[in-house]
Amino acid sequence: MASNKKYWKSIEELNEKSAIVDTLKQNEFFEEIPTDLFLGDKKTLEASSTTRRDFLKYVGFTTAAVTLASCEGPVVKSIPYIIKPNDIIPGVAEYYATTIADGFDFANVLVKVREGRPIKIEPNKDANGTTNARVQASVLSLYDSLRLKGPKANGAQISWNEADQQIIAKLNEVKALGLPIAVLTGTSASPSTKKLIAKFNETFENVAHVEYDAVSESAALDAFEEMYGSRALPDYHLEKAEVIVSIGADFLGSWQGGGFEAGYSKGRVPTSGKMSRHIQFESNMSLSGANADKRIMVKPSEQNQVLLNLYQAVVNGTVSSDATPLNVAVQKAAEQLKTSGSKAVVLTGIQDKNAQLLALAINKALNSEVLDVSATKNIRKGNDADVAQLIADMNEGKIGAVIIHNSNPVYTLPNSTAFVEGLKKVKLSVAFSMQDNETANAVQYTLATPHYLESWGDVEIKKGQYSLVQPTIKTLFNTRQFQDSLLAWTGSAATYYDFLKETWNTEILGGKSWNQALHDGVFTSDAAQSEAISLEVDLETAASQLAEVKGSDLELQLYVKIGLGDGQMANNPWLQEFPDPITRTSWDNYLTMSKADADALGAINKNEANGALNGSLVELTLNGVSEILPVLIQPGQAKGSLGLALGYGRTQGLKAEMQTGKNAYKFYNDFNTFQPNISLKLVAGEHEFACVQLQNTLMGRGDIIKETTLEIYNDSSLDPKHTWNKSAMVSLDHQEVEANSVDLWESFDRSIGHHFNLSIDLNSCTGCGACVIACHAENNVPVVGKAEIRRSRDMHWLRIDRYYSHEEDFEGDNEKKEAGKGAMGFKNAMDALEDPSENPSVAFQPVMCQHCNHAPCETVCPVAATSHGRQGQNQMAYNRCVGTRYCANNCPYKVRRFNWFEYPNNSKFDYNMNDDLGKMVLNPDVVVRSRGVMEKCSMCVQMTQATILKAKKEGRPVNTNEFETACSNACTAGAMVFGDVNKPEDTVKSLAEDKRAYHLLEHIGTKPNVVYHVKVRNIQEA
Amino acid sequence: MSSHYEAPIRRPLIVGDKNYHDISVDVAAPVEGKANKLWWTAFSIALVAFLWGLGCIIYTIGTGIGVWGLNKTVGWAWDITNFVWWVGIGHAGTLISAVLLLFRQKWRMGINRSAEAMTIFSVVQAGLFPIIHMGRVWNAHFVLPLPNQFGTLWTNFNSPLLWDVFAISTYLSVSLVFWWTGLLPDFAMLRDRAIRPFQKKIYGLLSFGWTGRAKDWQRFEEVSLVLAGLATPLVLSVHTIVSFDFATSVIPGWHTTIFPPYFVAGAVFSGFAMVNTLLIIMRKVSNLEAYITKQHIELMNIVIMITGSIVGCAYITELFIAWYSGVEYEQYAFLNRATGPYWWAYLLMMSCNVFSPQFMWFKRLRTSITFSFIISIVVNIGMWFERFVIIVTSLHRDYLPSSWTMFSPTFVDIGIFIGTIGFFFVLFLLYARTFPVIAQAEVKSILKSSGEKYKKLRDGNHE
Repeated sequence: MASNKKYWKSIEELNEKSAIVDTLKQNEFFEEIPTDLFLGDKKTLEASSTTRRDFLKYVGFTTAAVTLASCEGPVVKSIPYIIKPNDIIPGVAEYYATTIADGFDFANVLVKVREGRPIKIEPNKDANGTTNARVQASVLSLYDSLRLKGPKANGAQISWNEADQQIIAKLNEVKALGLPIAVLTGTSASPSTKKLIAKFNETFENVAHVEYDAVSESAALDAFEEMYGSRALPDYHLEKAEVIVSIGADFLGSWQGGGFEAGYSKGRVPTSGKMSRHIQFESNMSLSGANADKRIMVKPSEQNQVLLNLYQAVVNGTVSSDATPLNVAVQKAAEQLKTSGSKAVVLTGIQDKNAQLLALAINKALNSEVLDVSATKNIRKGNDADVAQLIADMNEGKIGAVIIHNSNPVYTLPNSTAFVEGLKKVKLSVAFSMQDNETANAVQYTLATPHYLESWGDVEIKKGQYSLVQPTIKTLFNTRQFQDSLLAWTGSAATYYDFLKETWNTEILGGKSWNQALHDGVFTSDAAQSEAISLEVDLETAASQLAEVKGSDLELQLYVKIGLGDGQMANNPWLQEFPDPITRTSWDNYLTMSKADADALGAINKNEANGALNGSLVELTLNGVSEILPVLIQPGQAKGSLGLALGYGRTQGLKAEMQTGKNAYKFYNDFNTFQPNISLKLVAGEHEFACVQLQNTLMGRGDIIKETTLEIYNDSSLDPKHTWNKSAMVSLDHQEVEANSVDLWESFDRSIGHHFNLSIDLNSCTGCGACVIACHAENNVPVVGKAEIRRSRDMHWLRIDRYYSHEEDFEGDNEKKEAGKGAMGFKNAMDALEDPSENPSVAFQPVMCQHCNHAPCETVCPVAATSHGRQGQNQMAYNRCVGTRYCANNCPYKVRRFNWFEYPNNSKFDYNMNDDLGKMVLNPDVVVRSRGVMEKCSMCVQMTQATILKAKKEGRPVNTNEFETACSNACTAGAMVFGDVNKPEDTVKSLAEDKRAYHLLEHIGTKPNVVYHVKVRNIQEA
Repeated sequence: MSSHYEAPIRRPLIVGDKNYHDISVDVAAPVEGKANKLWWTAFSIALVAFLWGLGCIIYTIGTGIGVWGLNKTVGWAWDITNFVWWVGIGHAGTLISAVLLLFRQKWRMGINRSAEAMTIFSVVQAGLFPIIHMGRVWNAHFVLPLPNQFGTLWTNFNSPLLWDVFAISTYLSVSLVFWWTGLLPDFAMLRDRAIRPFQKKIYGLLSFGWTGRAKDWQRFEEVSLVLAGLATPLVLSVHTIVSFDFATSVIPGWHTTIFPPYFVAGAVFSGFAMVNTLLIIMRKVSNLEAYITKQHIELMNIVIMITGSIVGCAYITELFIAWYSGVEYEQYAFLNRATGPYWWAYLLMMSCNVFSPQFMWFKRLRTSITFSFIISIVVNIGMWFERFVIIVTSLHRDYLPSSWTMFSPTFVDIGIFIGTIGFFFVLFLLYARTFPVIAQAEVKSILKSSGEKYKKLRDGNHE
């Protein structure tokens, strides 16, 4: 606003015709500037110390200095576009469909890209994509600071041109000698790569392609080939199963490549009154065993017997006369299998072709609909015999060149010394690798490859289902794909992209659009699928051969952990810190042992003063190979069996913190996870574990995890609120009323706008932990390292609690607690309940901030840093938080996490947030928390807000079930469903009102926005 | 403070052949004399401990709360234990000077000065902890309701931690004013006796120009009474509010309505024990046995015995109510407290706080200086463990067993605690050498009625 105020300058202005005022108006400078006088007086000018030349110098210098200074302005590396690409809007994420195929995990995924940086992996649900913890975490491996940054020859840097020249020369030399060239790769399942290797064979002749899986499924592949004629893996549609009998198959883990949890969980929800019955015979406590309705502990060698008996009972109808408890259990399982007939399935993880044959035969005899032998899977191709032959040939000097891709045999082979010796005998050894790992350091040429998020490629995961791999970022380093290298060596000028596109256009797409396929990430071929032919197999021989497998007193069962898998992502801090779903121990592998065996050996587990878990050390010896391993006493471990995870103990290409555990591959003789004749010796010393859950049992607190049986659930005469899903009651005016009907405060009006709820079905949750890593990635949760985990300072916003029962099941625990009468009785019951049963019932419960509508944390914060949002969330204002930790103390769910130290940019926490490369994975929508503030699950407020904004921009209401959180998005099993309860169409609305729905610790009156569903177990034995 | 007739059956509160001048000389002696070796030794040890603690505090603030032993489940341990312990100790001063003043308990005059000094010094220690336990100390001012540019951004008046801020600051300021008011005539006495001009100047300033006119005395009496009236509710409110930190929470073992009276009794209990600890040493070192008599010690022992028994009743009540509630979480919290992994802390608490004061039923023991001293130390150990038991054993195993863990202190936790003890003694030792440690003006007012010499004279006349 312009001012029309008049300022008086002097009293003269009152005089209307003042000469002074006039003069002043005319004259800007009241006194004349004596320029002429100064310049005219030569004497004064010369007397002045500043000459004209000096003056010009000063002017020149100042101008130059100012110009230079302005050049060196602070560089803000935020959005580096000069010309903005059309499809990239800063702040808006782009999604690209691609496929992970690292030889161990195969999945159709969506990649969330922000400003050119891939920051998160999500399942490509349109392409039936599923993600596990490793796939979710794989984005961080892209930003691994220890990645190979360029090609190397004998450890020295080299240019791609030089490398190509030298390698081609050597290849020609080998060709001239007539020696074979072995291409050793992990399972690639890539039609184009296969074609390319054939092309490579055309150029150099005598090229043998050997596929090798670090964790072999060779037995299953061989068995399937023998029975159905093709070397592939059958698929199992577990959603169709009424009875699942698994003998040592951890199908919820990585058995036959995994990916069965979606189907399994679908069959486990009893809404229709039906759910599958799952019987598991196993040695180690696996994720599948933990989810089973009935779990029978057997030693690995006994698994063979169980399978044989089951085969005899189902196929031949013969019943073992010996009525041992195990035989009875097998008999019951056989009966249930027969009753369900085509709706039943038998799975086995026994690494023996005969066992796999028998399992297939049982399924065939049952005419199982669950087993799918036509749409086979290509995700494991490794052939143990070929690999063994290759090593033998290499050592005999029969191999001219070895080209290794997507495999780390020097680390993963049980006889890796023989392989290394063999490598020395070949003319040319080349390894394509992303990491400077054991194999990369054992060969002549180490060629740096890009991460799958920087690569082109294709995968045929399942017969007829083709997926594309496309880059989501320009290569970060001087890397080149394996396929581009092969093309270069064959003298082709084409890139792999050209090759791939051509292959697809000519062989796969059948005239369909390449762009559409690339957009979808997946293409299903219409080409007629040939029905599988069933061949005659001599099953009696197989059975008698299997019966001859000898056990021993102590048997080792090797297994693969959910976190680290086969070990290729060992330098990924998210996976290292990921607590194992069963043991809840991170940063380690260990020897799992039954309590009885541990007692006999004198091995113990104990807690230090701060709670941290320590375990005894033992020396394990197998065929003269020994290793000192820590003992973790595992409830549910079959007596006489020991479990040890593969994938740990890597030493090369990893940061010091990531060099955890011991290498178990050296015990993986003949690629068999079952190893008898183990001897154990207790050795001095203790191992320090990083276990995030120190109390293993539920202490009879049945209202935390509510359980019932299918029978009771289906009994419509029962009112769930008073029987199997009891509401917490409190006394109000001397009347018993439901706890959630009592209110200390006036409630807000929650009927307007969005009101978010998260529903968690304990029946479909398998405890796999994909959500834990998804939450890590979405919310920039810091990694704190082993030492801090030992201090119980894990930062996971979402954890999956795992409880063991003390009695046979949790109902037994509740009864035991109730039976403890009097002070001493109560004490004795409680003391007893602290210890898990030998073969416990297991329950999983994902717990994150419950977003209580009456949050205890909100009332106690002195500065109101945590308060309630209008949409139901309990929110944290990090900037306001002073860090009193009162909210965490007052949280009944203990989900709040405190920043004990500055985790980013701190060399003491040398994980991804400590280097510029690793920080590229951070989600720009979520603030990185500083030291001294409290943090916790926000119900992915950044995601819900983005959804609302998107709808607003598009001028529409939010779609049904459009709201998602990172965890609900990652949950393949469909256990976590997120949505708006004020929107009647959202699934979560009906789930929140389901008769199985309950709130955690309802009696406190916190009124959470997270809803759990009572776990129903199918204990019907007939 | 009129001194009227006192029954001959009452034991004298000032023993020995003292007259007014003697009192002045005795009280001024530590101030006017030179410090001996013992003082310097004690002071050096305290100073070293203080500096060590200061170092630990600086390390904590510079590195993060992670240098303490806390974890995701146990968010408070030694920090808040120390806080409550020091606040509790700080209770005796006001109780002695305000409540006993209102009840006309003359024996308080020999001890109230030091008891109040102790109060202020320990509240200073206590106040440190809520500040340094914050993850972001540099934002500590957020807890004050300061006007800010956000308009509606205000502190959360629902939070007991905010109530603490007000309770502690009010208590500290009222105690300080009350203490200083009592000090005025005594500073004036020191000023009048001072020979060196600098000393005279300083004590002149400290005494706020006290002249000793009748008007001065009349105002002094009135202000004392008003402040006593103001301070009395504070005795109850401060620890009540501190107990609200726990009582208003939802954690079993914390969520207990008995906490306010139980905490106040415990506070008086520990405060008196600390007064005993300090005065038993001081009366010896500063030759004040004539003013802080065995009778004083005995009376304080009786208070310790009574409050100790109240605390004991509270412990039993807690256990009973836990059982009677029928709430399994509550029942388990107390079972775990007594028999869980921290049973030793519970046992220490029980034996130090409930059993040890019962020895005071015996006159021989409660009049024994050595025994009183030992018990006073034992009680303070017990009271520290009481807070540790309440805080740590309730938190470490609460609702969801998956989060159960243990707590173990680090050297920093220990260092800071020792540091505050050092800081406390630095302040107290300086006080003992520069302040009139006995309210001599008040003591003089009862010389004629309760002084041994005059009592004898009077009683003799009657014979």
